[in-house]
Amino acid sequence: MSDTRRQKREGRWLAVGLYGYLALVMFVPLVVIALWAFYDPAVGWYPPDIVPTSYSVEPWREVLADRGIIGSLVLSLIISTTVTFLTGALAFPTAWALAHFPFRIKRAVEVFVLAPMIVPGIVVAVSLGEIFFRLGLTQTVLGVILVQTVGTLPLMIRILTATLEGIPGELMLAARTLGASPRRALMRIALPMAWPGFLAGGLLSFISSFEDFEKTFMVGAPGVQPLSVRLWSYLGGEILIFPTAAVVTFILLAPTLIIFFIAERLMKENVLAAGMGKL
Amino acid sequence: MAGLSIRGLTKAFDQVRALDGVDLEVPDGQLVTLLGPSGCGKTTLLRSVAGITDPTEGGIWLGDRRIDGVPPERRNFGMVFQSYALFPHMSVFKNLAFGLEMRRLPRSEIRKRVAQALHLVDMEAMAGRLPRQLSGGQQQRVALARAIVIEPDVLLFDEPLSNLDAKLRDSLRDQLRALQRRLGVTSIYVTHDQVEAMALADEIVIMFSGEIVERGDPVSLYRRPIFRFTAEFLGRTNVIEARLDGDRCRLPWGDERSVENPGIDDPAGVAIRPEDIAISTANGSDPHGEIAERMFLGAGTNYVVDAGGVRVRVNVAGTQNDLIDIGTPVRLTPPKSLHLLRRGRHGSAEALA
Amino acid sequence: MTAITEDHTRRAMAKRDQWARNRTILLLLLPGAGYLLFFFGLPLLRTVVGSFTSLDGAFTFDLWVELFSEPVYIDGLFFSLWLAIAPTVVALVISVLLAALLQATFPGRRIFGALYRIPLVVPGIVAAFLVMVMLDRGGMLSRIAEPLGIDLPRMVRDEWGIGAILASTWKNIPFMTLIIGGAMSAINRDVLHAARTLGAGRLTVLLRIQLPLALPGISAAVLLTFISSLGSYAIPNLLGPAYPLPLSVHMYEQGFRRGNWPIVYAMGTLLSVAAIFVLLAYYSLIGRLTGSHARREARS
Repeated sequence: MSDTRRQKREGRWLAVGLYGYLALVMFVPLVVIALWAFYDPAVGWYPPDIVPTSYSVEPWREVLADRGIIGSLVLSLIISTTVTFLTGALAFPTAWALAHFPFRIKRAVEVFVLAPMIVPGIVVAVSLGEIFFRLGLTQTVLGVILVQTVGTLPLMIRILTATLEGIPGELMLAARTLGASPRRALMRIALPMAWPGFLAGGLLSFISSFEDFEKTFMVGAPGVQPLSVRLWSYLGGEILIFPTAAVVTFILLAPTLIIFFIAERLMKENVLAAGMGKL
Repeated sequence: MAGLSIRGLTKAFDQVRALDGVDLEVPDGQLVTLLGPSGCGKTTLLRSVAGITDPTEGGIWLGDRRIDGVPPERRNFGMVFQSYALFPHMSVFKNLAFGLEMRRLPRSEIRKRVAQALHLVDMEAMAGRLPRQLSGGQQQRVALARAIVIEPDVLLFDEPLSNLDAKLRDSLRDQLRALQRRLGVTSIYVTHDQVEAMALADEIVIMFSGEIVERGDPVSLYRRPIFRFTAEFLGRTNVIEARLDGDRCRLPWGDERSVENPGIDDPAGVAIRPEDIAISTANGSDPHGEIAERMFLGAGTNYVVDAGGVRVRVNVAGTQNDLIDIGTPVRLTPPKSLHLLRRGRHGSAEALA
Repeated sequence: MTAITEDHTRRAMAKRDQWARNRTILLLLLPGAGYLLFFFGLPLLRTVVGSFTSLDGAFTFDLWVELFSEPVYIDGLFFSLWLAIAPTVVALVISVLLAALLQATFPGRRIFGALYRIPLVVPGIVAAFLVMVMLDRGGMLSRIAEPLGIDLPRMVRDEWGIGAILASTWKNIPFMTLIIGGAMSAINRDVLHAARTLGAGRLTVLLRIQLPLALPGISAAVLLTFISSLGSYAIPNLLGPAYPLPLSVHMYEQGFRRGNWPIVYAMGTLLSVAAIFVLLAYYSLIGRLTGSHARREARS
């Protein structure tokens, strides 16, 4: 049909345009970074050369020879995993209360739980950095976990609340009429049904912890150096070390993107949008 | 205005054919209902006519103008949706004015036409309300007014009454019929409710599995359907396997009747509508069967009679009859002449219920 | 007599039930909300109180006077706002377009839907690094432009913060697109079809139906993008000019480098107030969107 054909043609143009945009803003910069990660320091890469004249794995060897980088990767993974589970455990009861009990100060609690997403993170990070310094928590892994959880908890509570609100109250009542105590009904019905929320919130918490720089930097640096803080030391210092930074970028991006694509496959498209579309 | 012709319309999705070579003529000013179970393709057909869905093959003509390939905004067809589809952020007035603004009519003209349309559906008082402040029936009346205010060449209805409760549905249905007659707009009306289809239609088109099963005016389609599927989908019917002998047939309980359409190869059986069978207690004479079930409905009583090994549904209308108890021996009196049904490849519609 | 006692007992029991219920709710709220009270509420309170406290612990307005009289801080405040507003506006325009286009079907839609979101999980530092290798002097763009005789303006460490704005924009586009797209796809498809049958072309449907109906989502996305850019530290530090510095960078420098905490608290309070101000603006907008309906409903 002529119309179907026209639509197909429009679809093709749309695809060309959108993928062109993607190439320009995402693919090309990543390729340039890859070039930096594989250039040959002995020859150098100076303007006006568009691509390096010679390649090597020297930048990688240099970075991997510095044993600290593997330590940073492991540290990042440990911190993010801990933050994710801590966030889930702390968030569930609160989300349940928000989703299924009407109470007088509910709106106030909702706004308060939202507040860490509204108040710029740097304000809390700087202030907590100073408080933690007095408590001896700066430059400790515990301190970093505690400050990152402030960032992940609001999102988790919101997503879990939205998921739990989707569970009809009748379901819990049905479980009660079948002989389950309120606690058992909660564990056997609500908790398993909240799984998509846990999954979405957990993956987002993990990613947001893994990529966090500002809070981690204010509380943890220089004693605790997960990947993002280490990348900073190659870029934010007096001298820029492009090749090293390029390699660390890829080491940092690899786990993030893997988790991200797992999340894409597992998550319902609209979880984030549902959690954030209305504040 | 002109009639609508649909020729060889096919819509293939990845695996299934939602429409499979459908041909249909809708004469100028007539209302045709598409009736069928869910998933039969009736909505796909309607949406193809509206231009919301693109058919894979075939064509659609309005008079002698071919319109498939024309985007929906240039077809000038009014459409009424099951979900009403009113613009939630616009008042009733704005909803009606929208189509006229698209046609760049002057303000005064828009105001005049909207007022007229609102008057037609008796909603003048609600012009300033938002859709969510209206009841379902009011919303659907606004949706109807919005579709007719643009003076469309064709009106399309996608199960417009199925979200309303039964009483409201009946009264809106009658209003809708009167309005369509008065405006004389060529219309297609999709529904799965056979009563609605019969009450509204000039012609009913029965669809199943992407194809047209049978079509006809409500009376002949109800009284003399060709296929078993039609007989069972339009109202309820007893399809009884009878022994055929020329233009006579013998029913399982021993009665003999004439057949009005003999000469059908391997028929599905004879059709006897439950309301066409008279029932009486045997009172000592030879019984045909006995009452197996009884359901008192107020306006009438439905029985299931076990007769000669088959279960026969019998509906008795009226409130003045004596009820017959379960287990009572009874005699059945079917009409003088019976109608044979073809099997067709759609089989029985009973299984779909 | 008995009736009265029964009534009394019933009321007492109801009261006890109410008390038990409240205790349950409190216990449930404790882990999550309690955590935030301690690790978020406390530092925030300390920030606000600290902004009125001199080094020797006395109440003072001096810090606020300093903040609003020193040109460094005034320029810093305006630069912070500029670095928050500019990326929000640019990202909004691109995101609305992307969200609208993503409602259509085209080959490779699923893959695009996954790929365009990558910046969502890319750290701000990496975004800054991408901008450096592309736009800095000696970056890819200038290497391509120079032989063609095009002289590019300075885009990294420039006084307008173009590099920082581009990095923030890049990072926020997927987030905005996701939320706006979510709000758009929540619109009943039949409403869009109805508009088409009434004679509206696709652009008209976008402007008159989709955008107004997605407005709550759009404003939420604007709010969150504005706030995340307002407080960002790494991007302006890496890509921004030496002067002016945004307040977030001043906060780190004054606090951790110089130990001048009182002025840090004053800046923190100011940033928080700015964010809350924007939040209130959002609520009043949403209130107007939904509240006017409620009012009219109440009247009818």
